Amino acid sequence: MNSLDPRVTRLPHIGEVGKIVPKASLDQFGTYEVFVQPKEGKPFQHEGIVHAPNLELAYVLAKETFTRRFTCTSLYVTDTRDVFVSPLTEGDKNAYDQITPSVATAGIKKQFEIYHLSKRGKQHVHAGSVEASSPEEAMSAAKQKFNQGKIVFNIWAIETNNIRFTSPDEQELWLTLPDKKFRDAAEYKGGDKLKNFLEAQSKA
Amino acid sequence: MYGGGNTFEGIKTDEVAQEDPILLAVFEARIARGEKIEPTDWMPQLYRKQLIRMIEQHGHSEIIGALPEGTWITRAPGFKRKMALMAKVQDEVGHAQLLYSAAETLGKSREQMIDDLITGKSKYSNIFNYPTFTWADCCFISWLVDAGAIVNQLANAKGSYGPYCRALDRICAEESFHLKYGHHCVIYLASGTQKQRDMFQAALNRWWPPMMHFFGPSDKISVHTEMLMKWKVKMGTNDDMRNQFLDMYVPKIWELGFVIPDANLKKNEETGRWDYTEPDWEEFKRVINGGGPCNKERLEVRRIAEERGKWVREALKTPRTKYVMPLA
Repeated sequence: MNSLDPRVTRLPHIGEVGKIVPKASLDQFGTYEVFVQPKEGKPFQHEGIVHAPNLELAYVLAKETFTRRFTCTSLYVTDTRDVFVSPLTEGDKNAYDQITPSVATAGIKKQFEIYHLSKRGKQHVHAGSVEASSPEEAMSAAKQKFNQGKIVFNIWAIETNNIRFTSPDEQELWLTLPDKKFRDAAEYKGGDKLKNFLEAQSKA
Repeated sequence: MYGGGNTFEGIKTDEVAQEDPILLAVFEARIARGEKIEPTDWMPQLYRKQLIRMIEQHGHSEIIGALPEGTWITRAPGFKRKMALMAKVQDEVGHAQLLYSAAETLGKSREQMIDDLITGKSKYSNIFNYPTFTWADCCFISWLVDAGAIVNQLANAKGSYGPYCRALDRICAEESFHLKYGHHCVIYLASGTQKQRDMFQAALNRWWPPMMHFFGPSDKISVHTEMLMKWKVKMGTNDDMRNQFLDMYVPKIWELGFVIPDANLKKNEETGRWDYTEPDWEEFKRVINGGGPCNKERLEVRRIAEERGKWVREALKTPRTKYVMPLA
């Protein structure tokens, strides 16, 4: 290639122009949901997804994609397949009304994180956690604990064990953010320079 | 950054006629109320198709748009500019990730989107098919192309598809840094030496025609988008967006003493809109169809990156994980 950019010109010749070799099915990485706590004391909220080959790399990519800039105190990720999802409702229909009460079974109790969508178009926000032996039971337990008449359009239940949390020493990751002023619009004030320039122009 | 309204397919109304009329009415009523559509809600096929196309194009524009600016990282004038430009390019690539994720919720896999970009099946903003000869070209992109993108993105953030709107809210917040940074760069060139001023003027002369193309073909010739507007996929006509951009930025360019290379450009006091020389839409079509100065290079850089990343993907692949559609 003959480019203005010498680095492009130096690129190796591989394959054929405009052609891609069919990829193996596993070439496509798994999907992981990302949850962020924007400020101390605020609940975690769903932020988006990343694709990664495993939970640990999903965590690293999530940090790069979602917490490069804004304040963040903590972050966690989980495999999308580990999120148990209720039906999505609208208008005055509460998603909890579609959850059938399930009788507590004898299995070992595990903790589940419950997320609510309380405004359509917004993010799912953490409501709290419940103890249950299955995701279905967790939904039912959440109905007892968190269904307080306010309409919830969608509920997610995630087993806490399946979440890759931020450990306390990793929270330092975000401490350097305030130092990276060059990423901040407020660092680019051209007002004075512009004013001086315009004044000089009008005198000339 | 992002190029607006460039290539919507012609609408086949018979496609919509085959949809269930009751579901369609509920869907349209929800949009009319200002509510968002979520991935698991019922939606017409045409809505899904056009949204995938639009969001995917937007994602590709971020990836390809990072190339003409990225080439200046090694040659940026000074450490501060280098840091800022690196952060900006990193943002653009990050935006592509957010946008691809939003498009995936509609059922097209990320892999398929990347493949379609490389084979030329999917498009991206036409403006990135032009080269950045000098640092001033790079500044033009940072300031004015991003400004144009923000006009589009702020409008689209009020659209009807939940995941796209949420991605755009994030993106717009980051773009404010790009815009301020770009303006800062141009103020420095404008108030610098004669050589610096000349350099930006030359960049402005080169980039003005593609900038006018940026918002897509004129309403007079563009395909009919009433249905897309009703469904809040498209939030304004191409000419409206172009006009809004001119309103906001022509005075700022003039303020710096630069000359916009269009003798007919002026605000029409009667209509309140800008008059300008009709952009050359044949040139626009030629470049979109692969005839621009950098089309081939842009796609080749992307394709070679994909080829070179193969061993990494190979090394990381595991049967324990599986690609599934994102939840929201």
